Amino acid sequence: MWRFLAESGAVFAKDLRTEFRTRVALNALGLFAVTTLAAVSYTIGPYRIAENDRPFLLAALLWIVIFFAAMAGLDRTFVKEEDTHTAPLLRLSADPLVVWAGKLLFNFVLLGVLIAILVPLYMVLMGFRVDSTAGFLLVLGAGGYTLAVTTTMVAAIIARAMSRGALFSVLSLPLLLPLLIFLIQGTRAAVEGSAEGVSEALRAVVSLGGVMTVVSVVLFPVVWNE
Amino acid sequence: MSEGVRLEFDGLAKRFDLRVVFRAVSGAAEPGEVLAITGPNGSGKSTLLTILCGLLRATRGEVRYLADSAEIPRDRWRKYLGIVAPAMSLYENLDALENLRFLALVRGMRDSEARCCECLEAVGLDPARSTTVRGFSTGMHQRLKIAQAILHDPPVLFLDEPGSNLDPAGQDWLEELVARERGRGKTVVLATNDRREMEWGTRRVALSG
Repeated sequence: MWRFLAESGAVFAKDLRTEFRTRVALNALGLFAVTTLAAVSYTIGPYRIAENDRPFLLAALLWIVIFFAAMAGLDRTFVKEEDTHTAPLLRLSADPLVVWAGKLLFNFVLLGVLIAILVPLYMVLMGFRVDSTAGFLLVLGAGGYTLAVTTTMVAAIIARAMSRGALFSVLSLPLLLPLLIFLIQGTRAAVEGSAEGVSEALRAVVSLGGVMTVVSVVLFPVVWNE
Repeated sequence: MSEGVRLEFDGLAKRFDLRVVFRAVSGAAEPGEVLAITGPNGSGKSTLLTILCGLLRATRGEVRYLADSAEIPRDRWRKYLGIVAPAMSLYENLDALENLRFLALVRGMRDSEARCCECLEAVGLDPARSTTVRGFSTGMHQRLKIAQAILHDPPVLFLDEPGSNLDPAGQDWLEELVARERGRGKTVVLATNDRREMEWGTRRVALSG
């Protein structure tokens, strides 16, 4: 187990180091997130939504911004390995599940950084307030993980395909749509302070995350090696 | 890892869509032998090497690695193989030592710092250990590829056009390396069109193209 963690940690550290030196994914995520947030806050702003609609609409807009920003950058992890011809070396050096775990951790951290910057900005610009902070943080954490595990698997599938950019969104959307709906419901419940609503949505998000983790562990070695 | 490994391949064929790259290619290499794969451009030397090291599936045929007469399962091949190939790159945004450290870590090598430095020294890249690979010349790239291939001391070494971009001193050093590894009971598979490198082979598979 320790060996697996050390080897996955090495993949994560390598990706982090190369990302800090190039900032390709970080710039793509950040630029898309800030642009979308600026557009949403300029066109809708905090006061153009009726009070009754605010919890649902603001929760939906928040996850739409996070989702599309994630789509802009998270596919880079595997595409970069293929484009720079380092993927064969990685295939011949590391266990497939080590690669998967390292890449997943990298995507999760990248998404975590995005959420940590985006959510406070969103709260200020859109006047977004939550009643249940703990519930909201749990939804963000579980949502971030499930989003990361799904996009990591899809990114691995599309890395060797042509028309990667379009394919990433096309394959991700049906997998992520149910997740988005549960995340919006959970965030809305956190805004309204409904512990029961948060817990119901969390159960669904954690289940989806669990299913995607199991599917990835089974499928990734095949996708990566074939 | 010191045990000798025998390579066998039988009836290999590869087709990309309608284009047949090669068909019915068979061969073997014992520990301590150098198998030279030769053939004109486009005859499929690199494709054959890619299949032999498990990065690509053959359309037909079988590849087997045997250690003490026991077949090594495909998912464990990578532990026994070291590869130098033009289509394989190192991480350009990492320096030479960082590349080897990373590869040693994911290969599960413990206390690998000394081994990484030893490999860099062996290929003559010790003075450039902290230089980012992006700033390397093509010859330095090739030396670093060789360093990563021998890093885990694999019993089977695949060398695809290994002397390309090397200066005369580098080519002499490469010849010594192949002779030394052969002497240590390693199985060396060489894909080349270079007359000098062809002579290192103790067995030959000629692809017709």
